[in-house]
Amino acid sequence: MEGLSTLATVLLLVPLASAAVITLFFRRSGKAAEWVSVVAAGIIMVLAFVLIFAWSGSGSLTASIPWLVLGDFRIEMGFLFNAEAATMLAVVGFIGFFIHLFSIGYMDDDPAQGRFFAGLSIFMFSMLGIVLADNLFMLFIFWELVGFSSYMLIAHYWDKDFASAASKKAFVVNRVGDFGFLIGIVWAYHYFGTANISEMSALVASGEKDVVTGIGLLLMCGFVGKSAQLPLQVWLTDAMAGPTPVSALIHAATMVAAGIYFMVRIFGILSPFTLDWILWSGAIMTTFAGICALGQDDIKKSLAYSTLAHLGYMATAIGLGFPGLAIMHMAMHACFKATLFLCSGSVIHACHHEQNMFKMGGLLRRMPITGIAFLIASLSISAVPFTAGYYSKDTIIASAWGLFANGSGGEYLGAYILTVLGALFTALYMGRMFFVVFLGKPNSEKAAKARESSVWMTLPLIVLGWVLSLGAGWFVQPGLDGSWLGGAMTSLLPTHAVEFMVQGFGNDGWKAAHAVYEASGAGWVEWLNLACVLAGFAFTFFYYGRGPSADRLEVNHPAVFQAVERHGWFDDLYDWYVAKVQQRFADILGFLDIFLIAGLLVRGAAGVAGLTGTLLRSLQVGSVHSYVYWFLIGIVFFWIFAAT
Amino acid sequence: MNLEAFQKIAASNLWGNLLPEIYLVALCLLLLVFEMVFRRQDLLLLFRVALWGQVLLLVLMGLSYFGGFPSGREELFGGLLVQTPLTETMRLFFLFGSLLVSYLGTRFLRARNLARTEFFAITLLVTAALMLLVQSNQFVLLFVALETVTVGFYVLVAYARTSGYSLEAGLKYLIMGALSSGLLLFGIVLLYGVAGSPDLAGAVGDPLHFPSLAQFIAAHPDNTLVLAGSLLVLSGIAFKVGAVPFQIWIPDVYQGAPTPVSAFLAVSSKAAGIIVLLTLVTGPFAALSGWTIPLISTVAVLTILYGNLTALPQRNVKRIMGLSGIAHAGYLLMGVVAAMTVDWAVGAIVFYLFTYLLASFGVFGVMALLSEGQDADQELDHYEDLAKRQPLLAAALTVGLASLAGIPPLGGFIGKLVLFIAAFQAGLYTLLAFSVVGVVLSIYYYFGWVREAVFRVWRSAEGAGSATPALPEPRSLTGLDRTALVGLSVLTLILGVAPFVLTWFLQL
Repeated sequence: MEGLSTLATVLLLVPLASAAVITLFFRRSGKAAEWVSVVAAGIIMVLAFVLIFAWSGSGSLTASIPWLVLGDFRIEMGFLFNAEAATMLAVVGFIGFFIHLFSIGYMDDDPAQGRFFAGLSIFMFSMLGIVLADNLFMLFIFWELVGFSSYMLIAHYWDKDFASAASKKAFVVNRVGDFGFLIGIVWAYHYFGTANISEMSALVASGEKDVVTGIGLLLMCGFVGKSAQLPLQVWLTDAMAGPTPVSALIHAATMVAAGIYFMVRIFGILSPFTLDWILWSGAIMTTFAGICALGQDDIKKSLAYSTLAHLGYMATAIGLGFPGLAIMHMAMHACFKATLFLCSGSVIHACHHEQNMFKMGGLLRRMPITGIAFLIASLSISAVPFTAGYYSKDTIIASAWGLFANGSGGEYLGAYILTVLGALFTALYMGRMFFVVFLGKPNSEKAAKARESSVWMTLPLIVLGWVLSLGAGWFVQPGLDGSWLGGAMTSLLPTHAVEFMVQGFGNDGWKAAHAVYEASGAGWVEWLNLACVLAGFAFTFFYYGRGPSADRLEVNHPAVFQAVERHGWFDDLYDWYVAKVQQRFADILGFLDIFLIAGLLVRGAAGVAGLTGTLLRSLQVGSVHSYVYWFLIGIVFFWIFAAT
Repeated sequence: MNLEAFQKIAASNLWGNLLPEIYLVALCLLLLVFEMVFRRQDLLLLFRVALWGQVLLLVLMGLSYFGGFPSGREELFGGLLVQTPLTETMRLFFLFGSLLVSYLGTRFLRARNLARTEFFAITLLVTAALMLLVQSNQFVLLFVALETVTVGFYVLVAYARTSGYSLEAGLKYLIMGALSSGLLLFGIVLLYGVAGSPDLAGAVGDPLHFPSLAQFIAAHPDNTLVLAGSLLVLSGIAFKVGAVPFQIWIPDVYQGAPTPVSAFLAVSSKAAGIIVLLTLVTGPFAALSGWTIPLISTVAVLTILYGNLTALPQRNVKRIMGLSGIAHAGYLLMGVVAAMTVDWAVGAIVFYLFTYLLASFGVFGVMALLSEGQDADQELDHYEDLAKRQPLLAAALTVGLASLAGIPPLGGFIGKLVLFIAAFQAGLYTLLAFSVVGVVLSIYYYFGWVREAVFRVWRSAEGAGSATPALPEPRSLTGLDRTALVGLSVLTLILGVAPFVLTWFLQL
């Protein structure tokens, strides 16, 4: 596939070139930088779709370029393009472009646009690398690169303490996960003899090699860190210190989903035990993060918990054995969660960087486009029927029940209960957010003066919110797939595009899962979901009221609110661990370092080396006489070798 | 010999294949004629003729590759010399080197009242001889080419006639060079005598010819005269390479010689030595691998350790370059040992040589630009805050030194990496361990230099008064200076990140 590899290489190099151009020439001219970056994002979007349409719509394409060949040792830069890669590429390219567009409006008053847009381009480069990589080594390199760009962008407001602390936290917590990931890669390479993902999967599929639980669990560490799953979820809420477009792009739509994507890619080599682990941790996360979201006043932090919960849903789908469904939910989630974040960005921008929900209120009238987009995305994330989220999220919940009903195991009942609770909490926190922020009267001067944002920001909201959050899932609705709007829409799209949508979402993911649910014959499952959602909205509407200036839960039950706000005391636990355990250990190591390594080994070695050097230098007497003797000694020395 | 044999030899006298060498010698003569005609010692004119003449040759050689880069092995002049892709690459290497030496020479000569034409003329002549040296397939040609190189260098090292350092260096180089040439010649004579001796079975008709000699040595690997002869030859080559224990002349000579000549010695002369050694140990001395492998391995370890350890306490930058150059010769010797068992290691050696050429000339270039007045006594202290005074020079220096130290993503890193992988595949684990130690040591002194130049180092108040006075600021950089330094840095970077270059080299 010569054309494919060329196209993929170009696709990968465009954002890198953009970052290089910005860093070299436009660091101080923000306008130029933003245009370079946005145009690059546009090219990425176009090329991504060209690549998707050029792909036949089924099977997988591989191409590799030898990077370094030494005898029989090869390092290759390879691409693996299949259904999940196509979906992920579409998400990164399409949503990435609109978030770039949004950034033009959002960052208009920022003094460091050059750095910001260069960072976005670097991120796009690294993310595309993850999407296309066909082997674990290459994947890991780009994995670390997204980590770096995330670190850099979280710390965009580096002169604020909380931002630099948050970026450090994100970086360190990710390192913990990546450590396991790296060991997993080495083990996998040792065990399979290759790090190529499709080759590994083929070895397992043909029965030549068994799955190894340890490898799966170690590789899962990377996913746990990057997708902020239990117990490494603590960094994501703090990461909201970055600019809102970054939160939307990196910490909601794409990078955090890379963990899910990675698990889907290596699905073939995961053992049942690993899948159960992923199932449980994901299912617990859906409820746990949902509860935590209720304890946040900061609109972005609340949304961040919602992201955690929905990453939990994706993990649950993987654990259920439906990787395609996880990818579908990833794509749907990318649409509505990006919308929610962009809406919050629009609101925050309009309110002059006010992030406290209880200081907003009544914004629907002042910012109708934003408000409606937020409403649609809220309905979508809560899985109201016929919105995008309904198709994926509801199917995850229903198929969990379906698996339990057909006797696959008791753990699926647990997953079902937790995910239903998660759905209830989704409705609760989304309702709370919408009613508090958009209804009632303004609670602060800033909110009272808020105006609808510029077209740069509203256009992405309309595309992602009004259109995609609503309709992205219609491809799978029976009767709509392939013959959308009586065939009118289908004729507008290339055949491959429709095939891709159906292949990527429909056959592999949604249909299989949906069939499991259908087979159980439990129609009440869907009704229960709907009831949970409606109950959640109704409860919050009456409990919190329209546009309140304070959280009623916080006022009436401070102890409960406090408990929710501390989000399970994870931070406190880690602080205690770092301060009491790790610090002690570090002190001991520090002592050893200073006395043994620095004192004896380094100083000693440096001393020996220096002394030897001085001694040898003294041989350099400068007298030709002695130099000639050196030559004679040298010949004797050579003779010793020749004679023995 | 009968007529047919003569005809066969005559048919192999393809002078066309020697056009680059002929061109260089003609250019050298042209320069000398110019001097007679114009009599003005017009530096700019001479320089332009020398430089553009060489650029033209580079272009012509480049054009000739449109028909395909030479492949395969071709013996010419009745087996006197042999041409392979390797020798063709080395020709380009030497031409590139002499181009840079000519450029540095201009900077050097401009500030001094010295004869000018001869510098370029001798450089060109030496380059032609270096080209012939790596192509030689017979000891007479090898010796003649080697002597042409060495005699040329006698003059070049002592070129700064007004400087005591330079004269001393020239004298030392003369004595050491003559001694080593004597050893080499003695070795050749012994080999000639024993291999041509009709008393021994399998005596060959043309014992100076490498393949014939290889046959004879394969038949008599334990003959004492063979041993004595080959070890004397190897000693002579070890002098060129600067391997321990024949390295002793290097610091003095490098320090005293004019900076362009130091660079020439460090890069081109050393590279020629390595290639000749490679030709010998894989050619005529292949049957002696029983003792040449341990010998060269030990020499490589000693060379790496000696070079790095003696460079550690140095403050004089030319001596640092000289001594660290010894260490680089050590890594290359490791490559030679690896090449005796691993085929593609030859390509790794040549790649390493190219990265070494680019990085060394970058560093030497900065040194030459900074030392218009004083030449031999540049200390590290003179580089204080260079980044502030001359950002471009500091950047080029940093790239060059980092590449020499083997820091990614520069060419030097990949060069070391492939060399080490070759050694690993050849199973030279001990040697590899010492090399790694050597690299670690080298980072210390290379980055000590970078630190002086780039980072603000705290200095005590009383120290400030007694500090070495800074060198006079160089005259403003010309466009050519910028092009050369930026070009070298960029090429260093390209060698580090573009894998296809490496892949091409590894096919050699």
